[in-house]
Amino acid sequence: MRTAAPRYSVSAFAARYGWSYIFIAPTLLFFALFTVVPVLQAFTLSLQNATIVGGTWVGFANFVTLAGDPIFRLAVLHTVVYALITVAAQIFLALFIAGLLQPLPKTAQVFYRALFYLPLVNSAILVAMVWRWIFNPNPFGLANALVQLFGLSPHPWIGSSDEALAAVILSTVLIIPGGGVVLYSAAMGGIPKELYEAADVEGASWYRKWRHITIPLLRPTTLYLIVVYTIAAFQVFERVYIMTNGGGPNNATITIVQLIYSTAFQFGRYGLASAQAVVLFVMAVAVAVIQFRWLQSDVEY
Amino acid sequence: MRLNDDSPPSVAVSSRRRFLRSLGALAAGTTLVAACGPTQPAAAPTSAPEPTSAPKPAGAAPTPAAAAPTTAAAAPAQATPGSLGNKQISIEWWRRNYTPGSQNAETITSDAAVKGFRDRFPNVSITIQGGPFGPETDQKFDIAILQQHAGPDVFHTTGGDVLKYAAASQLAPPPFDDNDRKDFNSSALQATTYKGQAVAYPLWIVPWYEYINLELFKEAGVEPPKDGSWTYQQFMDAAKKLTYKRPSGTQVYGFAQGNDEYAFLLIDGARPYSQDLKQWTFNTPQAESGFNKWLALPQGKLEPPDYLTLKPNDAEAHFANKDVAILQRPSAFINVLNGKPQEWKFGENWDIANFPKGDADQSGWGGLGFIAVREQQDADKKAAAHAFARYLTGPDIGPDLQKATVEYWLAPSARTSAAGAYAAYHPAKAKVAKMGSFTYVLPNVRTWSEIDQKVLRPATDAVLEGKKQPKQALEEVAPQAQALLDEANK
Repeated sequence: MRTAAPRYSVSAFAARYGWSYIFIAPTLLFFALFTVVPVLQAFTLSLQNATIVGGTWVGFANFVTLAGDPIFRLAVLHTVVYALITVAAQIFLALFIAGLLQPLPKTAQVFYRALFYLPLVNSAILVAMVWRWIFNPNPFGLANALVQLFGLSPHPWIGSSDEALAAVILSTVLIIPGGGVVLYSAAMGGIPKELYEAADVEGASWYRKWRHITIPLLRPTTLYLIVVYTIAAFQVFERVYIMTNGGGPNNATITIVQLIYSTAFQFGRYGLASAQAVVLFVMAVAVAVIQFRWLQSDVEY
Repeated sequence: MRLNDDSPPSVAVSSRRRFLRSLGALAAGTTLVAACGPTQPAAAPTSAPEPTSAPKPAGAAPTPAAAAPTTAAAAPAQATPGSLGNKQISIEWWRRNYTPGSQNAETITSDAAVKGFRDRFPNVSITIQGGPFGPETDQKFDIAILQQHAGPDVFHTTGGDVLKYAAASQLAPPPFDDNDRKDFNSSALQATTYKGQAVAYPLWIVPWYEYINLELFKEAGVEPPKDGSWTYQQFMDAAKKLTYKRPSGTQVYGFAQGNDEYAFLLIDGARPYSQDLKQWTFNTPQAESGFNKWLALPQGKLEPPDYLTLKPNDAEAHFANKDVAILQRPSAFINVLNGKPQEWKFGENWDIANFPKGDADQSGWGGLGFIAVREQQDADKKAAAHAFARYLTGPDIGPDLQKATVEYWLAPSARTSAAGAYAAYHPAKAKVAKMGSFTYVLPNVRTWSEIDQKVLRPATDAVLEGKKQPKQALEEVAPQAQALLDEANK
């Protein structure tokens, strides 16, 4: 039999905890001014035929235009494919490497965490330029130099509409996700040793320990990383822009943010670009909600 | 997980959790949109933007955020020296990349130009505002001129911007007479015309042409084109022979160009628009024929394998590394080669040649720079700005800048009467100065960058990759390009 939870009014809640919100008020104020207001403005612009000198109200016409725009649909498809592959690969890689670090002594763990994290401080532009050289279609591109070592013929990579997106995805997948390694490593360190000891007593194999102890207890970290990596993947821009001149041959690597950039700052269609941004926002929120519902557990972080 | 014994009852935990979760979702979402969504700028410009010093390639097209076209501004006051009188007038000139005290070309030429003008008109003082190249400066420029109706009295600009400001009635049209009209390159004058009226002063006209590596020609036993002129067939024959593997194993390619250049589409007489700019015409048999001539280059593997992603700098690097024998680029690359006199000697190991001639009259692709005067109520300032713009684009500035970098300024001049100074500067530039006469400058169409990047370039990529036939691609492009052209003409 279920019992009703005790009534707890908003005023009581405010009386008890209201003061604590005073402490976060300055941050909230900045957040509202510099994030919420511009976002609301973007929503407003998405309903206008906005240019640099102003705009006229067009209702949902921009969204109708997007629905019929094959390049926008292509950009959505590329963004989703990029996100699916890179997020899955980054989560797997981070988990795998953190698992390898776990048995090491504390000092070695700290060393390797720093080692994996350090590349993240590099400029994203520089990293993209290096990848542009690696996947250069000429024989001097590193990837082609490597495949030729094995007697294979060089590939066009970013110079081909068939391979350009794969090259951009590879450039993300082949980088060890340092942030994920650090978080997983820390989370693994926080799993009570007693659980593993109990499993040992029961004669559990390493796989069963991994499957039934480690993975479930890492769920909050996994949820966090998936959400963060998905949003980052949806925002992919600099790789596409630098590696493939902003869209690649025959728009082979065009992504939503790349298209937003072109639409706003090269074509001057601020209203349409805002509509694209709103669609991206809705996609990100929808994916985040699904991920929360699917992966959330009782274990709180 | 309860953190302490003071935790509220479950309902409160639930509502707080829900509240915080909502707040988190809102934060994540808004951060995302803020990061990727454009918002309308509102800040006033603090530094002066300036047009690019070379015609904007398609990949770096201007931002044609034009308002609904309205009629061009009314006829200006005559900007003759006499109208300036002796009254003290101060005007502001916005010049990108001007940095007081630095030795960059924009700063040296701008300071020298102001000095030269002041010697002629001591009562006019000119303040130069600088600003870096880039979209941020473009936007500041737009805000000042289009939103605030303030900012520069005179400024450099490029094709798309000219149209944008003219459509917003923010340009004071130059008072050209018949002599001026004869003096300017006709293609340049047409490119600065908006609704039948010239709205800015053409400054320079930059042709695209071929740089040839004479050492590679010699190595491959190919005779360079006589007087720099060759037909398409002669060009192709040369490119084929110039594509070879050296004994060392390094590959030499016959030809390279930036991936945003459409010169070959013009070679048999096709043009993107009809004369009145109402009709998209890059789907004619001439365009298809030109496209097939272009397609023969990648099909014959006469270009480096990265031809679809070659930025202009990459193409130049191929030539500079001596793995490409013929490079298609505009005149600015002359200065790059001249900057390495030990390695590159004009006439000895490099030369220039015209864009090859196809089935139609000799033509080439080109770009244009302008000096524009902002429309305003102050007649004195406007007259002084016109006088200064006329000076900046006229024949007097050549001798005045001779000790600065005149060749950079004119690059070469859009006026016949001013071209001599450029031509005298270097033998390579003397050849280039003659190319203006057959250079086709893309007329101003507000939606060109969208036509180019969204429609035309993906289609040409598909053809050059061998995934579509030229005819099919050009026919698919036509209705979309026409729609954007119609929009520009509204």
